[in-house]
Amino acid sequence: MDKDAAADLQIAGIGGAAGGAYNHVSLEGLSRINGPVTARTFTGNGRMRLGGSLTVEQMETNGDLKIGGGLRVGTMKHDGLLKVEGGLHGESFTLNGMADIKGDCELENFTAEGVVAIGGFLSAGSVELVLQGQAKVKEIGVESLVIRKGGSGAWSRLAGGMIPKLRAELQARVIEGDFLDLEYTEAEVVRGTVIIIGEGCRVGRVEYRDRLTVHPGARVGMEEKIGG
Amino acid sequence: MEEDLISKKELLDLTGISYGQLYRWKRKQLIPENWFIRKSTFTGQETFFPKERMLGRIQHILSKKDDLSLDELAGKLSDMTWVQKQLLTLEEVRERNIVSSITLERYGQRDRNEHKYSFDQLLHLVAVDLLLGKGELSLEEADLLHHTLNVNRPQFQGKRWELFFARKMGVGFFLQALAPSELVFDEGVRLISRITLDDLTEQLQGKLG
Repeated sequence: MDKDAAADLQIAGIGGAAGGAYNHVSLEGLSRINGPVTARTFTGNGRMRLGGSLTVEQMETNGDLKIGGGLRVGTMKHDGLLKVEGGLHGESFTLNGMADIKGDCELENFTAEGVVAIGGFLSAGSVELVLQGQAKVKEIGVESLVIRKGGSGAWSRLAGGMIPKLRAELQARVIEGDFLDLEYTEAEVVRGTVIIIGEGCRVGRVEYRDRLTVHPGARVGMEEKIGG
Repeated sequence: MEEDLISKKELLDLTGISYGQLYRWKRKQLIPENWFIRKSTFTGQETFFPKERMLGRIQHILSKKDDLSLDELAGKLSDMTWVQKQLLTLEEVRERNIVSSITLERYGQRDRNEHKYSFDQLLHLVAVDLLLGKGELSLEEADLLHHTLNVNRPQFQGKRWELFFARKMGVGFFLQALAPSELVFDEGVRLISRITLDDLTEQLQGKLG
């Protein structure tokens, strides 16, 4: 995008805008943008409401961000709450907090610590998830996937017992990938080349090509070696 | 005639590519979204692909990916204009082995303008060659096919079409329709072949690119 062609959008305090194409968007405080937004860079703090889709090369946000359409992004980093009504497509996404993405999610790198819900299909180069609560993904297809459980303190264990949403685990129907290193994961089918089923996993069926390791504290219904 | 489907598992076994590669190519749009066909099976939902097209595409990617980055390759696959503007001389067509020499001898001379072949003309040659090669046409029928494609070209310019070749009581006939189309024939008709513009374009692109 031509850097000089588009203006900047800046909101500080409480404000709103119609949307459009910008060079740089900066939102501080409470802001509402009604239409779709295209920008080169995007920074935000506070409570942000976008009515339409967002297309941006680079973004860094903190707080509560809601996007009414799809999100197309180069690199993004978000701390806090994120809600996307459409799909998420991009290169790299680092999350610290909670994300709720309704559509499909296509990324090269996805690193998250917190709680993730993806309504569609998660396809990524590499995914690293540190679970602080319940993560729900319909289906996963990746090159490499590492799931770890965070927040093993007494307080979170207590909270997890009372509120299921806070129990750290990943739920997916199907997980497929080249390298899968799982912990506290519940899935119907796990397929891949090298698979490590770690502590706390419950998997209906595992199909592996090269190597499979199963932790004694995991439950696997059926194991099958496939291919040559 | 239903297109042959191949399950994801079979595909990976057959081609030796991994899940990661497959999904990466999908993300890079090297494999179109609508080739991923979801179907229910007894083990739950499974993904299937159109077999011929998918195998062709994977071979194409594997053969090219050492020379080009995936992004460049995606650009090439989706951007057809560069290839459509190309004009080839008879010698180039022969050299690149685009169609068999029989097809080229028989039909090649007819539709050369100023001694160069346009993309469309090559496409027609490929179509004829494909069906002849499979042994599904006689030479007279191939004449008819080539003629049909040429005559109807202006009508289908810039549109996606499909070609049906059917036979009834030994008499062959062609149907050209806008894709995607659902045709129903009466019982005595046997559908011999169904080819789409997309398939032809892909084949030709592979040979040109």
